[in-house]
Amino acid sequence: MNVELPLLAFVLGAALATAVLRDVLGAIIAFATYSLGIAVVWVVLQAPDVGLTEAAVGAGVTTVLFLLTIAKTVRPSGERVIERLDWPALGVSVLLVGVLLTTLGALPEIGSPDTAVLTSEVTTYYLENAYSEVEVKNAVTAVLAAYRGFDTLGEAVVVYSAGVGLLVVLGKEVFA
Amino acid sequence: MMDLLVSRDYYVATFLLLGIGTYVMIASRNLVKKVIGMNIFQTGIFLFFIAAAYVEGGNPPVLTMDAPHVSPLPHVLILTAIVVGVALTAVALGMVVRIYAEYGTLDEETLQEVRGSE
Repeated sequence: MNVELPLLAFVLGAALATAVLRDVLGAIIAFATYSLGIAVVWVVLQAPDVGLTEAAVGAGVTTVLFLLTIAKTVRPSGERVIERLDWPALGVSVLLVGVLLTTLGALPEIGSPDTAVLTSEVTTYYLENAYSEVEVKNAVTAVLAAYRGFDTLGEAVVVYSAGVGLLVVLGKEVFA
Repeated sequence: MMDLLVSRDYYVATFLLLGIGTYVMIASRNLVKKVIGMNIFQTGIFLFFIAAAYVEGGNPPVLTMDAPHVSPLPHVLILTAIVVGVALTAVALGMVVRIYAEYGTLDEETLQEVRGSE
């Protein structure tokens, strides 16, 4: 059975629910649902590593961060369930989607084996040599930790600076 | 036309997610919801990369599995981007908490009024 279209409909529905719900707690829960749906999309697209990370980090850590923020601040309440439609913002986003859709014909078909990504020298090199050079059977791990190890170091630097930035912004009183 | 949309369905979903993310970032007056909108926008971009790496009937890039494999490089880039995205979200939410402690509101327009009257 073709799982793609129902799955994408679910993900887009969750994203829409996130957009229109007025209650921020409701929007956070809808966003967690959305992250879970996206994690399933990664698995369907044969990217299990990304799916695992998304489920742990996107649906897990991010949701906890949002909930902590709500606990520390306010949760705007009111009688309205659905946010009022903002026409200028809708205009901007429809325009953006319209402009992006004009590029659709120039993009390769999904899953076609002769796209630029799949035929590129880099992809074939990694797939052919990852095991003999790095002795790791998962090509994603090999690229992450060996071939592009400096990228991962940069990522660690970003996470470290984010931690330092967070401590500076929040100061002591929030953690006390 | 229909054929074009169905054969490139993940790209269409990417564009729609970018649109929804933009809408939330512009339309929401609540700062926390703006950060959620930014996260939706990000995952839209991730979807574009992962869909570009996909090959019909391909296996995950684990070399004990049979060829064809999907491309590992976009997966690595997106793994990095997910973690960087969480770091970004954490700093943004830290600032939101600080703004609330300072001004007592997370509503964009009330915030502008409070800052204007200072």
